[in-house]
Amino acid sequence: MTLNLLVAGLLFTPLAWAVVSLLIGFRAGRWLAGAGMVLQAGVTLGLVWTLTGQGGFEYALGDWQPPLGIGLRVDGMALTLVLLTTLVASACGLHAAGYLEADRPGQRYFWPLFWFLWAGINGVWLAGDIFNIYVGLELVTLAAVGLVALSGEPPALRAALRYLFAALAGSLAFLLGVALLYGAYGTLSLRLLAEAVQADGTGSAALALMFAGLAVKTALFPVHAWLPPAHGIAHAPVSALLSALVVKASAWVAIRLWLDLGPVLGSSGGAFLMGLLGTAAIVWGSWMAWCQTGLKKLVAYSSVGQVGYLFLLFPLTFAVSDRVAELATQGVMLHLISHALAKAALFMAAGNLIWAVGDGRIVSLAGAGRHLPLSLFAFGLAAVSIMGLPPSGGFTAKWLLLQAAWQAGQWGWALAVLVGGLLAALYVFKVFAACYVDKASGDDFHYPPRRLDLMPLGLAVMALGLGLVAGLPLHWMGIGGAP
Amino acid sequence: MKAGVVTVLALLLGGILAPVVVAVASADPGTSLHTLVQTRLEASGVEHPVTAVLLNFRAYDTLLEIGVLVVAGITGMSLSRAGARAEPELRSTNTLLHALARWFVPLMLLLAAWLLWAGSHRPGGAFQAGAVLAAAGVMMRLTGLPTAWIAPGPMLRLGLSAGFSVFLLVAAVGALTGRAFLAYPPLLSGPLILVIETLLTLSIGMILLGLYVAAAQRDGADE
Repeated sequence: MTLNLLVAGLLFTPLAWAVVSLLIGFRAGRWLAGAGMVLQAGVTLGLVWTLTGQGGFEYALGDWQPPLGIGLRVDGMALTLVLLTTLVASACGLHAAGYLEADRPGQRYFWPLFWFLWAGINGVWLAGDIFNIYVGLELVTLAAVGLVALSGEPPALRAALRYLFAALAGSLAFLLGVALLYGAYGTLSLRLLAEAVQADGTGSAALALMFAGLAVKTALFPVHAWLPPAHGIAHAPVSALLSALVVKASAWVAIRLWLDLGPVLGSSGGAFLMGLLGTAAIVWGSWMAWCQTGLKKLVAYSSVGQVGYLFLLFPLTFAVSDRVAELATQGVMLHLISHALAKAALFMAAGNLIWAVGDGRIVSLAGAGRHLPLSLFAFGLAAVSIMGLPPSGGFTAKWLLLQAAWQAGQWGWALAVLVGGLLAALYVFKVFAACYVDKASGDDFHYPPRRLDLMPLGLAVMALGLGLVAGLPLHWMGIGGAP
Repeated sequence: MKAGVVTVLALLLGGILAPVVVAVASADPGTSLHTLVQTRLEASGVEHPVTAVLLNFRAYDTLLEIGVLVVAGITGMSLSRAGARAEPELRSTNTLLHALARWFVPLMLLLAAWLLWAGSHRPGGAFQAGAVLAAAGVMMRLTGLPTAWIAPGPMLRLGLSAGFSVFLLVAAVGALTGRAFLAYPPLLSGPLILVIETLLTLSIGMILLGLYVAAAQRDGADE
């Protein structure tokens, strides 16, 4: 009974809040959002509490069991990601409440899109049905495109349209794969599919199509070109949401499909290709980040690089010992979490810095070190995790990945992890070097409200501290679903 | 160059897909969902299997899909800053067209109502009815019949979210009364599905029409 209410509350709250905030304005939407975040946090904690007590379960929506109905897979990994979403989305929402100008005409649509995005992301984490995953990804994509276009400026519209076309192409490829799997095995439930699949051409072709679609949506190299303009031009808290959670949603679907269907339908060549593209993404994304002159573009290209690590999962879990596969899965999931926390902090801190100096170029940051120490401090703490230095979550994640690569004897991936860390250090120090140039001429600083520093600082501290308490999320994520 | 690459890629994809599709078409999946739907049809509250799947067995998908439509409507509205204004260049002054529209619009409303009702026992339902409703609205706008009610504002926002809201409320009531989220009360599922579909028809019509109106207002002033 309680369980039922908790799951229902988790699904209901963001959707209901989306509709109600559509009917009221931006200002009133702030207060409503606060209440929604509290409710969502309570429901999330209740579910995590249940999980640690009695383990994961499958939730049949409408009391129709799969394959007739749709099942939600409420297990350790999904709920840890739900908790991550509650933290990051709340921080981004609170930041947006102070960061966005309340009087701009299109602004009243921010909260409805924000809540729909939240609902979609939670839907994707919990989905246990491949068609439902498609629907969830659509909701996430359209809400994200709407948020990018929110500023209404022509460049933002162009970036949003480009994002929409790329994401729709990805969706269609994914949907084609869903149709093939349904045609071949007669079910959409991921759990039943995992039992039914056999190593045949149909299943592998379907999986390849789905991964191709998900790669576009996750902005994996070389289909990443839509991400930097979209994430670079959106409002800072929106960019934070997009980089921290939206690209992770499609990455998560790839991870879950691979862990469930990969052992049967995958091939070592395919797994190697994914790892190779991931490595290329790490190098190219980090290099391009270093080349940027705009602060938010730099942070956006950093996301292209960081997403690459997630795809090291494929070669490090295929045809290896259980121990290596476990290490690699833990490393990738921890990287997903710590990058979400750190990248959201980076984007919000970057937004504060840009607010202060009045333009988005990195050279304009001269003197920011003196005027905005707190924003810069948050930026630095988050960057520690991005670079993978101890004691951050990014460090622990990379350590786990290195161990997995070592034990599997696949040295190349270990090299990719190390090079990625060094390149990240390069572009982070580019920002800091600019901030501590002392500007001789008159200061023209606009101080953003103090409370806007709290959100990036809080998330950055969490990203940093995650390395010290990594055992807890790893324990949660080890809790499986229904027996 | 670009066209050549696209052609090669398309041929490659087609070449891989063709044998796969043939294999899928000739395969016989062990369990048939179709029979499962038929055996449970009685419990769904409607007589048509498609409506039973969309509004009951897989209602969660439909709920989220309506959410996607609402998001599209919201995004369209957020981009149309100009407010409602008439578009004389689009509007026809042809009196014959005007007279025809006065005949057609009520007929289309009737057709939409019939499609909605048909959904309970034969092909039809909220999506088709909503599309006809939107088409009637487009015709009204193009022929200069009054369409001030579709301007971005409180009425449009209420209209395009009404279907989704009622659907969501019914879903929540299921959970509050001890069943699962989206479970209908056993005896009321038929009437509830009809109520949801009726409001969804209205909202889908409003969303499609709203997108049409919003798009027309930007009149290429993009650059």
